[in-house]
Amino acid sequence: MISREMSMCVAVFENMQLLPLFPRFKMKLGFGERSVEEVCKTHEVNTDFFLEIANAYLDEAYIPGDGLSLFSLGTMISYLKETHTYYVETALPMVEEKISRLLDHSSLSKKEINLVTVFFNDYRQEFLTHIQEEEQHILPYILELEKQSALERPDPEFTLKLQNYSIREFEQGHDRLETSLEHLSRLIIKNLPPFKDFQLCQQVLDDLSDLVKDLTDHANMEDKILVPRVAELEEQLLNRMDAP
Amino acid sequence: MRFSGFILAIDSYLVRKGLISLLSRIQGVRIIREFATADTFQQYANRQDIDFLVINQSLFDQSSAVFVSHPGLLERTILLKEEPVTQMEVHNSIHLSEEKEVITGKIRRLMDLHVSSLSSSASSELTQREKTIVRQVSLGLTNKQIAEELFLSTHTVTTHRKNISSKLGIKSVSGLTVYAIVNNIITIEEVSLKPSE
Repeated sequence: MISREMSMCVAVFENMQLLPLFPRFKMKLGFGERSVEEVCKTHEVNTDFFLEIANAYLDEAYIPGDGLSLFSLGTMISYLKETHTYYVETALPMVEEKISRLLDHSSLSKKEINLVTVFFNDYRQEFLTHIQEEEQHILPYILELEKQSALERPDPEFTLKLQNYSIREFEQGHDRLETSLEHLSRLIIKNLPPFKDFQLCQQVLDDLSDLVKDLTDHANMEDKILVPRVAELEEQLLNRMDAP
Repeated sequence: MRFSGFILAIDSYLVRKGLISLLSRIQGVRIIREFATADTFQQYANRQDIDFLVINQSLFDQSSAVFVSHPGLLERTILLKEEPVTQMEVHNSIHLSEEKEVITGKIRRLMDLHVSSLSSSASSELTQREKTIVRQVSLGLTNKQIAEELFLSTHTVTTHRKNISSKLGIKSVSGLTVYAIVNNIITIEEVSLKPSE
């Protein structure tokens, strides 16, 4: 567990898997002796929010604390968007480039190369569609919900919509993007002929496994932190409407 | 992968949080909501379906209306007792003195018993028929061709395809093909996959 008084250097040193989080918070290394809270303040990041994210990232069984209501959904959504950008602009191209280099120098048959190439292209397409759906429909809905909740007289049209839609529906249909990547790793380990360049092959498998872990955490964060909080807001707004 | 949703209605903060910590370590469990009072729980229950419920005795006594409006829920409910129980009014109960393994076992049994009947938590294991269809998709057959081979309507094949996709979380033909290879449903040599445009 990371806490606010902890030295940020120690927090990271003991939990290197936190590193990918820093660009998403636009935080830079070189922490000196500053605590987690002090580093957050320097970068204008809400400390409670950072702690929730970091701890959820470290422990899959982590249950969000009561500090949840301390930050706005807007904060969380901009973090989610930064993460999406990281996947699309950094993580996916990085592993794709390595896979294509691996295939170029391999003795795989045309059929095998085609299988991996088509698979990855389709995967990228599904990935983009998934993120687009979230960014164009789900996230704007959440922001609107937060805005309406803060109003003294919420828009009746919005609250009417709320009676028929809940964020829980999104959660039910929330596909896991990491599953296909795990299949790809297994394909390389189990079914494809061995690659000559073992180092590169290992890097591909490492990248895939990092990405799987990151995507799992990301989905958990959406399902365990974002969705319950949004559902709570939905409920509060509906209760206000029910009250005379 | 699909999850079993759990609602917790327990008035003791410590017991509730302790149980959440235990439950969230069980594969396939997802905590949907927690409630500390019968009022808030009932308000929620008035609007939502409930897969599984863990509730303590006093909140249970105050929430009988919920079980009337949710037929079948009683069988998917675990009653949390402070004392070991002898009476059989609720089949599933755990009590505070029980060990982690005992509680985990009871939760798992309950999930296994009901999980296939709940739409939101379909099992991710493919049936033999579905495996056959995954194989034929990987061989490059269209839904129409699969329907002809298996003497099914195209509509039935489409339904199977939808179920397969939601069980596996895979939509594309290439994704299903790789799934089929790593699960020994087909060999790479047999696969027929069109190159991307």
